[in-house]
Amino acid sequence: MSAFWNYDFMRYALISACILGPACALLGVFVTLRGMSFFSDALAHSAITGVALGFLVQEKLSLAVDPMLCVFIFSFALASFMAWLFHRTTLAADTVIAFSFTGSVAFGVIVISYLGKYRLLDGILFGSIYANGPADIVKQALLALLITTCLIGQMRAYTLTTLSPEMAHVRGLRSGVLNYVFALLIAATVAVCLKMLGALLLSALIGIPPAAAKLVSGSFRSMLVVSVLGGLIAACLGVVASWHLNVPTGPCIVLTNVLLLALCYLWKLRPSCST
Amino acid sequence: MTATVPAPAAAVTAPWTCRAPWLRIENLGVRYGEQWALRGVNLDIWHGDLLAFIGPNGAGKSTLLRAMLGRVPAAEGSITWSEPKPRIGYVPQKLSLEAAFPLTVGEFMAINHPGSRAWFGGIPKRERPAIMAALERLGAAEYVKQLIGTLSGGQFQRVLIAASLLQNPELMLLDEPSASIDRRGSEDLQLLLHELHASLDLTIIFVSHNLHFVSHLATRVGCLNRNFCGLGPPHEVLSEHFLAEAYGSLLAPGKFHFHPHS
Repeated sequence: MSAFWNYDFMRYALISACILGPACALLGVFVTLRGMSFFSDALAHSAITGVALGFLVQEKLSLAVDPMLCVFIFSFALASFMAWLFHRTTLAADTVIAFSFTGSVAFGVIVISYLGKYRLLDGILFGSIYANGPADIVKQALLALLITTCLIGQMRAYTLTTLSPEMAHVRGLRSGVLNYVFALLIAATVAVCLKMLGALLLSALIGIPPAAAKLVSGSFRSMLVVSVLGGLIAACLGVVASWHLNVPTGPCIVLTNVLLLALCYLWKLRPSCST
Repeated sequence: MTATVPAPAAAVTAPWTCRAPWLRIENLGVRYGEQWALRGVNLDIWHGDLLAFIGPNGAGKSTLLRAMLGRVPAAEGSITWSEPKPRIGYVPQKLSLEAAFPLTVGEFMAINHPGSRAWFGGIPKRERPAIMAALERLGAAEYVKQLIGTLSGGQFQRVLIAASLLQNPELMLLDEPSASIDRRGSEDLQLLLHELHASLDLTIIFVSHNLHFVSHLATRVGCLNRNFCGLGPPHEVLSEHFLAEAYGSLLAPGKFHFHPHS
């Protein structure tokens, strides 16, 4: 552990895990409640296009734009476009997500090919937590603060608009505004977490801890607590295990999350629970 | 008062018309794309009403409730509320929640409590008395720790009504309260809604496919098939003439007989 702690990049990786693990798990509870797992997965994958557009602006327009900002803007624009299609057409939600996401990824790959930056794909798809610096930690902390403030501060409103839009309407809750804020939170999470886990593995941080918590929880409160603690423990264990096993950190975090899910499933199967 | 076909607003009156109606719907039309769900609907609703909407699937019953809530826009006509607008409670037919999701009855009640929006699950201590009082009133206090997805149809309706009572409503709108409830549960629900109507001075408007439930509960019935083909007291509207007009061959003559209030 002491050798581990001597390296800046490992310290930063562990701090990132401590911040993003619980924050993404909290967001994930609402993604699960709203049945939006496929939606958040699609936004994570479409980050490829956001990064590609960022580099296109940098190279062709000679503007010093942070690709992370482009990812955020593109993800939010895509989320808004999909939400508009849900409401304005008779297309099924999964159909809208499927063609929007594959279409945007295809466009992103073509832009990357045009720029001749195929080697960038590796980093976008799988991430690199060791590239974290103090500036990234600050962004991650701000994201965690934003997620916590928005979701816990408006938790009744988010839950009620999901359970019954009519009951929420009678209470005077503006579900349209809440939905846009939620899409904004997912877009910001994709932009900030992309560097850590990459587009392919990011969904694990959002989707697996709530799925595990749901298996063992007897109330919404216990699901929130188990999900947030599980997200924290799995992310930190993933970073530490990757150091000791000398394997890539992103996949290791995903596997510790899967292990958490398996343990929760076994806990649910224990005799006192199944009778 | 007579049942009318269709019912113009001025003709659809109730015995307590000395006051202005709470809600006046005039020539209302609602459409989804090119398809009209409602057209030419006229209706006045007064304080104290116990009004049921009946009609076949696709007749526009739930759409009319949603239009009254302001959830679907009127393509033509108008919906005018009195000032001040009465406090409304809404009881949906179901919730968008998978059965296995861990949300307890107590937590569902807390979500509906008009307290602050911040929350982290459970029942906040200061809200517990109001929540338990509402559940006890509906005979549902024993379900407080049960997951909401595991309730039976009758238990679920009681919890939904208890949740809407937390808003202290003057007008309650219920979408198919008797669906997924057996005959015994349906009778219990009738008594319960009668009791709330009388003791809380609650105006109730509900949608139902269950004509027996309607005949025992409602004081006015609107027979709907895109517009009202009959609107008036149950003994007039729940007649073969109006039912055949709304349901066509779906309800054979003689299949339903009106039962007066016991």
